[in-house]
Amino acid sequence: MVGNDIVDLNLAKIQSNWQRKGYLDKIFNSNEKLLVSSAEDPDVMVWLLWSMKEAAYKIHNRKTGIREYAPKKLACSMLQKTDLTLGIVNIDEVMYFTKSSINSAYVHSISSFTPHQLDEIKISIYELPNHPSNYRETKPGCISHHGKYLALAY
Amino acid sequence: MNKEEIIAELKTIIKPYSEETAAFESIDEDTDFLTDLKINSANLVDIVLDIEEKFNIEIDNDSMAKMLTVKATVEVIESKRGNGGQ
Repeated sequence: MVGNDIVDLNLAKIQSNWQRKGYLDKIFNSNEKLLVSSAEDPDVMVWLLWSMKEAAYKIHNRKTGIREYAPKKLACSMLQKTDLTLGIVNIDEVMYFTKSSINSAYVHSISSFTPHQLDEIKISIYELPNHPSNYRETKPGCISHHGKYLALAY
Repeated sequence: MNKEEIIAELKTIIKPYSEETAAFESIDEDTDFLTDLKINSANLVDIVLDIEEKFNIEIDNDSMAKMLTVKATVEVIESKRGNGGQ
């Protein structure tokens, strides 16, 4: 099972004001808020953590059938302090592994049950206007869409 | 404030975050914020914060977890305002 989530950073900038009072308190625990406040680029850190949570939630939701809006139940941490690309998301007692790619245009995260499975995931990211019309026929394991970007994980 | 009035207030809160005009116009209790109105999941936080401000209530995490549909959201607002409202 695979999860994925993409955040178009330009759209996120206009769509969401995470600096709004109370915003981060609703979605992040104290450890995650510390990651944001100490980050070189807090904006990217917010969307990195958010995409990790979304990617993990997508598998968790399919596995358990539970549908809820509880971002604080999903606790993110980085495997290594210096490497933002490999992470863990804990939901209740279950642990999911995430791998992210970060650039100036987007943040993209994939998720799976084991680190080994992460390496086997194939990713395709398309930018508008080059979204393939028949992408559903390729049977992606998870589809994520935000702003200019379409991200498929197999 | 009765249920209809709560839904009317809710509509004004939701409107700026929904790009699905047709779905928004035909909003009812069963409308789902994410699947029907295609609201970005990061904007659901804004809706929860707007509701807190507008209705002068505090929404805890367990209540927020349920707030995926109009019906569930109205129920949370009603319970936080106290049965029957003011």
